[in-house]
Amino acid sequence: MVLTVDDPHDVVVVGSGAGGAMAAYVLTKAGASVLMLEAGRDYNPEDAPMLNLSHDAPLRGAGTPDKEFGYYDCTVDGGWNIPGEPYTSAEGSKFIWWRNRLLGGRTNHWARNSFRMGPYDFKPFTRDGHGVDWPVSYEEMAPWYDKTEKLVGVYGNNLDLENHPKASPGVLHTPPKFRVPELYVKAGGDALGIPVVPARRAVLMKDMDTRKACYFASPCGRGCGIGAAFQTTTSLIPWAKATGKLTLQTGAMVYEVMMAADGKKASGVRYIDKATGAHKEAKGRVVILAASTGETARMLLNTKPNGRSEGLSNSSGQVGRNLMDTVGSSLSAYFPDLEGRPVYNEDGAQGLHAYIPFWDYKNVQAGKTTFTRGYHMEIGGGFGEPGIGGFGGYDGYGSDLRSQVKKKYGARFGFTQRGEMIPNANCYMEIDPEKKDKFGIPVARFHWAWSEHELNQVTHFQNAVKALVDKLGGTITSTIEKPVDAISTGGEIIHEVGTCRMGATAKDSVVNSHGKSWDVDNLYLTDGSVFASKAHKNPTITILTLSMRNSEHIAERMRKHEI
Amino acid sequence: MTDSNTPVLIQLDRRMTLRWIAASIAAGQLAACGEKFGAKDDWLAPAPLTGNGYGKDPNLQEPVVPWPLTMTKAELAATAALADLILPADGDAPSASKVGVPAFINEWVSAPYPDQQEQRALIIPGLAWLDKEAAKRGGQTFAQLKLDDQKKIADDIAFKDKVKPGYEQPAKFFARMRALTMGAYYTTPEGWKVIGYPGNTPVASGPYPGPTPEALAHIKNVIEGKGLKMNPVENGPL
Repeated sequence: MVLTVDDPHDVVVVGSGAGGAMAAYVLTKAGASVLMLEAGRDYNPEDAPMLNLSHDAPLRGAGTPDKEFGYYDCTVDGGWNIPGEPYTSAEGSKFIWWRNRLLGGRTNHWARNSFRMGPYDFKPFTRDGHGVDWPVSYEEMAPWYDKTEKLVGVYGNNLDLENHPKASPGVLHTPPKFRVPELYVKAGGDALGIPVVPARRAVLMKDMDTRKACYFASPCGRGCGIGAAFQTTTSLIPWAKATGKLTLQTGAMVYEVMMAADGKKASGVRYIDKATGAHKEAKGRVVILAASTGETARMLLNTKPNGRSEGLSNSSGQVGRNLMDTVGSSLSAYFPDLEGRPVYNEDGAQGLHAYIPFWDYKNVQAGKTTFTRGYHMEIGGGFGEPGIGGFGGYDGYGSDLRSQVKKKYGARFGFTQRGEMIPNANCYMEIDPEKKDKFGIPVARFHWAWSEHELNQVTHFQNAVKALVDKLGGTITSTIEKPVDAISTGGEIIHEVGTCRMGATAKDSVVNSHGKSWDVDNLYLTDGSVFASKAHKNPTITILTLSMRNSEHIAERMRKHEI
Repeated sequence: MTDSNTPVLIQLDRRMTLRWIAASIAAGQLAACGEKFGAKDDWLAPAPLTGNGYGKDPNLQEPVVPWPLTMTKAELAATAALADLILPADGDAPSASKVGVPAFINEWVSAPYPDQQEQRALIIPGLAWLDKEAAKRGGQTFAQLKLDDQKKIADDIAFKDKVKPGYEQPAKFFARMRALTMGAYYTTPEGWKVIGYPGNTPVASGPYPGPTPEALAHIKNVIEGKGLKMNPVENGPL
């Protein structure tokens, strides 16, 4: 094996998504030289097909095995399956894993939903005896959420909602107006005591720095070339580059952490340069892994210092354990009273203007529910762009068919559950004992089983939707399946977290409250792998916030020459 | 008659940004195959297509359909006639074939992806069935039947509660063609116009305007008609 060694940097960051790009931004601003390694290719946000028509794409942009979320989706060389880069699920398990081999990773196409975790979310064990507490509290995190949200740009507002904290004054952007389906659901919600409130999303409502305010067109998942919908390729990465301190290496498939001769400190990482196939070493005083929950744990488990079979930073045995994803299910409904309603441009900021935050904490706490943790509901549909796959429910032909289309357009929308999962012993990842990818790197093997906490939560969601739809005179058009069939496949919601959880002691966690490995003093993790629980709130804003906080901590330690 | 090789059809379908590769060669090559697997035996699935899709990193600004188009002249003719029966011209609204739906269906059933291949296995024999049924009812092909006679066939298979006994498979085929025709039609700029979708158009400046006064008045009326209230959206301090 021929190894070439890259020039040493102060910090080596693996990954360019939310956790990696924030670390690179904070540390280059602090004066450190940073080498960022990204397994995917480079990306120019100006290539985003923002106003292109689905009509101009093959198959009208329909999803295919090549581009599962559609032709224009900003996922490149990725998706559920990457040729030559398999993963496996253990017998009896099914877990699916979305990867994006592109600079900026999955931040190029995420939904931009940015709900802060609240006080209950950081101390779930204290509250109900399940899972574990985080080693940080909401109070410690609040100022970091403010700083992060102010930098990122998040719309929303500040209401008095249990466990859904306010931002400090001046942080949030004015949210866009509710659209008709959202106003309609709110009327039903108001009657039932279910809150329907402005959502929070990382989409600019005013120009900031180099980025432009949203112009209310183009699905955010295509990538946002004007920088309105937050992604690291229009913000943190160019800003880090502007310091002159960032070196970016794309096509770098990292496979292990390199240890110093003393066996105690990390000295860098080893990677395969995909362009040449050469094995290379990248050296740094500090190593930060932010390659995603699955990849970060895979790198640690594939690093065998002194032949130790359990992998690196795994004295607790927790690397790969505690794998969590968001609980997902959905129901669509049809509202006859909305037939033929006046048409207008309902695209708006594309994603949520309104949502339903979890409202039933009192009953959960009183033990009156059959599940333990909350969920939120998302509302989607209305006068959207017609899609090639959206015309299954019609009858007949000719002019009568044309009338059916006009009548039904905008009278149908759906409800989506996004819920908290409690970590359980059946959900984890490990290294497949046999299979290797095309680079020769042993692949991840996943184990997955939902518990009754999640299944019963689905029932609560279904009942709540039934009540709402009924109040509004609609009918549920999807089959209401048993929770075990209605619930998403593990990994499907693409919120996988927890494989290297943080904790208060080295005994039962992989990293401390600053994302520092308990076992290796100069090894940090800044991605979703460090989550100790998986609140129903979408994880990206918390990944960004933790990465900012913990990267400031790293900078401080570097200034003090502790590392 | 419709023919995949005539430039006029391709022009009608799409602005020239989406390019088709080797369409004429493939249509010729596969004609025999279509007859072998389609025309003789109803509902015998055609030979599956193999070949490459557009890959995991296609050019998004200049899209190309890399797979050969495979429908025969006869299949395209039946497709056009059926698509126009499903969505005929109506006032200012153009017919399905006028906005290139048949060419799109050719692109769709020729795609080497599992979903499209599964549908191909229903659609290609279905098109052959249409012509056979037309012959049975005194015509030559479906496309050559008079409109009223085409409708008589459609009436046996187009209504889910009134499918003629023994015609279940053709009804399944019709439902698929209807969904595909409608999807293809309403994703064109002309189709958007018909339903009024004005979107994927940037708002010139300022915040999102929200529903029009007319749309707001309408929903308020609906909400109050249900005995509910349209309360203002709570806007806490920023």
